[in-house]
Amino acid sequence: MMPVRHALLILAPLGLVLAAFFLVPVLMLLPTSFGSYVPGSGIAKGVWTLENYLRIATDDYYREVIWRTLGLGLGVSLASLILGYPVAWLIARGPASWRVPLILLVVFPMLLNLVVRSFGWIVLLANRGLVNNLLMQLGLITAPIKLMFNLTGVMIGLTHIYLPFMVLMLVAAIRNIPRDVEAAAATLGSSRTHVFLSVTLPLSAPGILAGSILVFVLTISALVTPRMLGGPTYKVMATLIYDEYVQLLDWPSGSALSFALALMAIGIIWASSRLARRWAGMA
Amino acid sequence: MSLRNSTIAAVLTIGLTGTAGAEELVVGSFGGSFADNVKACHVAAFEKATGATVALKLGNSSQFAAAVRATGGKPDMDIVYIDNSLAAQLNGEGLADKIDRTKLKSAPDVIASAWGKNDSYVVAMVSATALVYNPKLVKAPPSSWLDLADPAYAGKYAIGDITGTSGLHYLLAVNKAKGGTLDNTDPGFEAIKPIAKGSAVLYTQADQLLALFEREEIAVAPWYPDRAGVAMDKGLSLAVAYPKEGAVGILPAVVIPKGTAKADLALKFLDQILSAEGQGCFSEKAYIGAVNTKVKLSDKVAKIVPNGESLEKAWFIDPELIAKNSANWTRRWQREVAR
Repeated sequence: MMPVRHALLILAPLGLVLAAFFLVPVLMLLPTSFGSYVPGSGIAKGVWTLENYLRIATDDYYREVIWRTLGLGLGVSLASLILGYPVAWLIARGPASWRVPLILLVVFPMLLNLVVRSFGWIVLLANRGLVNNLLMQLGLITAPIKLMFNLTGVMIGLTHIYLPFMVLMLVAAIRNIPRDVEAAAATLGSSRTHVFLSVTLPLSAPGILAGSILVFVLTISALVTPRMLGGPTYKVMATLIYDEYVQLLDWPSGSALSFALALMAIGIIWASSRLARRWAGMA
Repeated sequence: MSLRNSTIAAVLTIGLTGTAGAEELVVGSFGGSFADNVKACHVAAFEKATGATVALKLGNSSQFAAAVRATGGKPDMDIVYIDNSLAAQLNGEGLADKIDRTKLKSAPDVIASAWGKNDSYVVAMVSATALVYNPKLVKAPPSSWLDLADPAYAGKYAIGDITGTSGLHYLLAVNKAKGGTLDNTDPGFEAIKPIAKGSAVLYTQADQLLALFEREEIAVAPWYPDRAGVAMDKGLSLAVAYPKEGAVGILPAVVIPKGTAKADLALKFLDQILSAEGQGCFSEKAYIGAVNTKVKLSDKVAKIVPNGESLEKAWFIDPELIAKNSANWTRRWQREVAR
């Protein structure tokens, strides 16, 4: 075992960077979140109030946006998992010659700027976009279906953007599963489906959980894609915070919402790491 | 999280190549064709006259207001183009420098009403929110703000989200047409709900409409005559109609943020903006009204920009009232209209 002193030394550079560029700025927001904003003249001096937090809890619009954000996080995580698992399995267990091309295919979209990728989806999903035009020309629909500025558009965009994170986490997890465990199950007469369902899948649970947490947290804090594909009618917490800060100039309210979002993210990471520990104990 | 989010928050900075040692003035400007015209009409002459270089920082009015507040006292921009309501907001927060008129050669030619409270800002141009339509699709030009509710336009129009100037103006114009006041916007919100529901999109960027008009997805929209004029030059089939209730005036202003080390240079830039040649050039290129009385508009421009009758009928809303109320109006819009 490494002495605690050494471990602390190793952590020190990262800790300092985090403290200087994350913790301190975040804590500086804390007083602002208890401030009061007076339209036309700015943040009132010397006024402290809980109103910003109370409003988050009582205003049904904010509550709707919070539930929508959490639901979106869950939906995108699930979609990424369902779409990503087969790919990850193929990369980890498929023919060796497929591995590099497949990984490249997964990683390649990440080389492209987020704004460009989101804009690409606008071109595809707009009322007169490629998808709607195609469907109309095929005669499947008569009027364009709304694919943007609603759940559909944001789901599609975010799932596409965060899928690589899920796949890469899953590949690592699946490759860590000892193949002889699977082989042992097979020699004992298990069918391939049964081996997958009762051996491979449970053993990759830590990867599933880690990938889901990562995608979930990235999704609930995403700003660019929801802004571009959700527009003014489909707000999530990140776009709401942006609006409070930049459009309404109400920094106290924006800060309070930011803390609510951060606390939710921390709470979810904490809860799921506890869950992971229990699963690990079972396995 | 913050890294990704900063992608959009970070405003694009376009550095114009400059010679080493020359003083650099950072100018906050709106993007798109506006920035092109700022370069052509204001920056070029200024650089030639002073030897200084200009770096443009692009953004919209509320982003600039947020940036000036965030850097309070140590601004990263020396002079900023900003909507007059947000200029009034910055003045309310004590973040705008008083403009010394005596240092401006062009000041005597500028109309008196252009100067903001305590000379904290000066209006640099005059535009409006009016109705823009495609004459190929619309035979009789729209004559009223409420025409958008006409079934003939169903699905063929787009209005702006309240976070953009035209969205706010359209809401207030409908409100006024329905008998509301700035203190009581209930009639406006009631009337705009169905209109917003039927809108092809709630646009958040002015130039979003270009594609919609081009693909004939929409035939009419509350929009800006200046943007329409520039689009017409590029070959789009558009025309401007001033509603009988009157257009809503837009007064893009200029603010010198408090604390800039280059206040004198900023004043020289402002002088170029307000000069007859700077104003005339901008009017012709950008289809925007001038505040310098010595500017004569060409016929082509006069057909599009608010002037004469359309200017007299235009409604110029008190910028202080907009600054005070826009947060509440926006919250109500989010909850009742865009939900």
